[in-house]
Amino acid sequence: MPHVMINSKKCTGCHLCELGCSAFHEGGFQPSRARLFADVNPTTAAIKGHTCLQTACAKCQEACSLGAIVTRTITVTPQGDFAGREKTGGSVEGRVLVVDESKCTNCGECYDVCPTDVIHEHPERHVAFKCDLCDGDPQCIAFCQNKYVLAVDLKVDKMDREPAAV
Amino acid sequence: MSARTSTVEPLNMEWAKLYVGGKGLMLRYLWDLTEAGMDPWAPENPLIVATGPFAGTNVSTCSRIVLGGKSPASGTILDSYCGGSFGSILKYAGYDLIIVQGRSPELTMVWIKDDEVSFVPAGKYAGMLTADIEANLRRDFDEHMTSLSIGPAGESKLPWACVSNDQYHKAGRGGTGALMGSKNLKAIAVAGTGKVTVGDAKAFLEDIERINTDYVLTDDNYWVHEEGTPVLVSLTSDGGCQPVRNYSAGTFEQADNLNSEAFQKIRVKKRACYQCALACRNFHRNDEVEGEGPEYETIALCGANCGVGDIDALMKFNHLCDEYGLDTISTGNVLALAMDLTEKGIHDFGVRFGEIESYLKVPEQLATRSGIGAELALGARALAAKYGHPELAMEVKNLEAPGYDPRGTFGMAIAYASSDRGGCHMRSFPVGAEVVEGTMPPDTLDTSKAQWNIDFQNHYGFKFSGIWCDFWAIDYDQMRQLMKHVWGREVTREELEKVGERVWNLGRLFNVREGLTRQDDSIPWAMLEKPFADGPSAGKVIGTERFNRVMSEYYALRGWDEDAVPTEAKLAELGVDVRL
Repeated sequence: MPHVMINSKKCTGCHLCELGCSAFHEGGFQPSRARLFADVNPTTAAIKGHTCLQTACAKCQEACSLGAIVTRTITVTPQGDFAGREKTGGSVEGRVLVVDESKCTNCGECYDVCPTDVIHEHPERHVAFKCDLCDGDPQCIAFCQNKYVLAVDLKVDKMDREPAAV
Repeated sequence: MSARTSTVEPLNMEWAKLYVGGKGLMLRYLWDLTEAGMDPWAPENPLIVATGPFAGTNVSTCSRIVLGGKSPASGTILDSYCGGSFGSILKYAGYDLIIVQGRSPELTMVWIKDDEVSFVPAGKYAGMLTADIEANLRRDFDEHMTSLSIGPAGESKLPWACVSNDQYHKAGRGGTGALMGSKNLKAIAVAGTGKVTVGDAKAFLEDIERINTDYVLTDDNYWVHEEGTPVLVSLTSDGGCQPVRNYSAGTFEQADNLNSEAFQKIRVKKRACYQCALACRNFHRNDEVEGEGPEYETIALCGANCGVGDIDALMKFNHLCDEYGLDTISTGNVLALAMDLTEKGIHDFGVRFGEIESYLKVPEQLATRSGIGAELALGARALAAKYGHPELAMEVKNLEAPGYDPRGTFGMAIAYASSDRGGCHMRSFPVGAEVVEGTMPPDTLDTSKAQWNIDFQNHYGFKFSGIWCDFWAIDYDQMRQLMKHVWGREVTREELEKVGERVWNLGRLFNVREGLTRQDDSIPWAMLEKPFADGPSAGKVIGTERFNRVMSEYYALRGWDEDAVPTEAKLAELGVDVRL
């Protein structure tokens, strides 16, 4: 199933993926609200990418007793270059986890279980917000614009947890 | 800082229209905030941190900031730049500019978290090295914060102490760290959660994607990412313009030990500044140290100029300068002078060209003014004068010269002499055409080179107000395509040229106001009159007479009088809104 990954070895720490993400979802450049982030240690060369693994992880969905994290089908066709294009053929059918804001009560169960720290309370809407693969055109990939780096990549995971029964 | 209070003011939009941001806007605030003849060490000397209009967006290289004031090193304008993440994060906190005034009675830091600004006693950070203070600030305040901080060199007010951001980014030149130290300001830390918006977001994003693809990382610009500044090491050495052993030669016989190929062998990672696709920074690792750099200037000044061709020693020296907060250009320049004075038997400082053990002690000695550091802290001009050999000091306006000797690249004589902050290669860079590209002869000096420097300086007057990085070879047409999103209308090349020239003239006016004259627009005697014995530039000199003639032509072409003062007609034409 498709999800975004940041290759920590390749990543240069420019944060353009976070800017693309927030520009698409929040209407402005606001990395504090990005749905993914690169944790860059300025002193060492260490970079750790934090992205949502979608249905390959689904811990948020498992934790949500209200069924507010729902599975949707999606066709992902990233624009721009990305390292995995030759493997995916540029387009991938699969499933994505999105927040049903009408059901979310901001209880925080999912915030606590997310292993990559990428689902949080939206400071204005007061519901959970997370990566939805930008309706099939992930902006983080489009914004990873150093063609010699291409650290933000579309990965297709074979593992796919069945949608939780609602 | 004196009363430890802060206020938030709206940006002066009149000035922002005239001077854009970055260098230009900083200079306009500086002019307004200071009286003529102000002592740069006085509490009244402001430290201004300015962003450009694209900070926080996805325009590559524009996370850059300028740190400004009156230079404690040269008494001229101080505009010193660094990349990293401070500019972007400052915008997310909601600010375009920071002005620090006064002097705190005790070591203090400023903590900015969005709307909240607080002054925090910084006694517990006193004496801390760069990596240490940044790690402590992240732990004590916010793991996502970034900071400007000084090391021990700034605390001891060394005239070439630098300011650090994200450890490896230095506002290096002109004494920004000394200015911070004189305010008893150890650090400014900032974390921001806000949003940067642009008028027409859709058009902006489409334009930037195209611009990033077509202009930023092009084949022509690929060297920035592939090699970075060490690419210059072989070029300047082969071209005979690298400073070697206190500028006594232009070609370094050990350059192969320190060139781009040598550094690529120990490179472990490419790194980028915030919001920049270029990723020029090289993270190196050897048996003893790891970290970014050294960049070309460090390799030239602390390597070749000190006669050091040992890459491990240079890595260590660079690391120590980063940690103590020293500008590596002035450090290498002054240390080479001390080595020269020792080798010539004038005074024994216990340091000699290529001698590693004593060399590696110097960064700490300088930062703490211990051992020979106490005397070396005088700077090149005063140190050479003290021992009766002013001709050995390689400085311009009391700012030590960087890594290009005009004997191998004649155009740099005009670049250095007319630079608004003293010995500096970042105002105009004839080395590029004369040595790197070979599109201009390196051994001629005439009217066309005066004009060439003027055009470059005006271009950079605008570029550094943007603030675009030197490493993006952005031209007026590309800047025009970006500026239309700032001004909300079509922009012409002529407008941008005019702003660049306006900024340059404002800088000159400030320097004239502070008492600088044409006599200060000089370069070291040796660079003009003493030919190299060997190498590709052997036997060639500019000569004082030719230099003075071309400088006169430079002033005339600038619309300045013979004493290098901008004329009323020129200031009126450019719309400069201040007068002497």
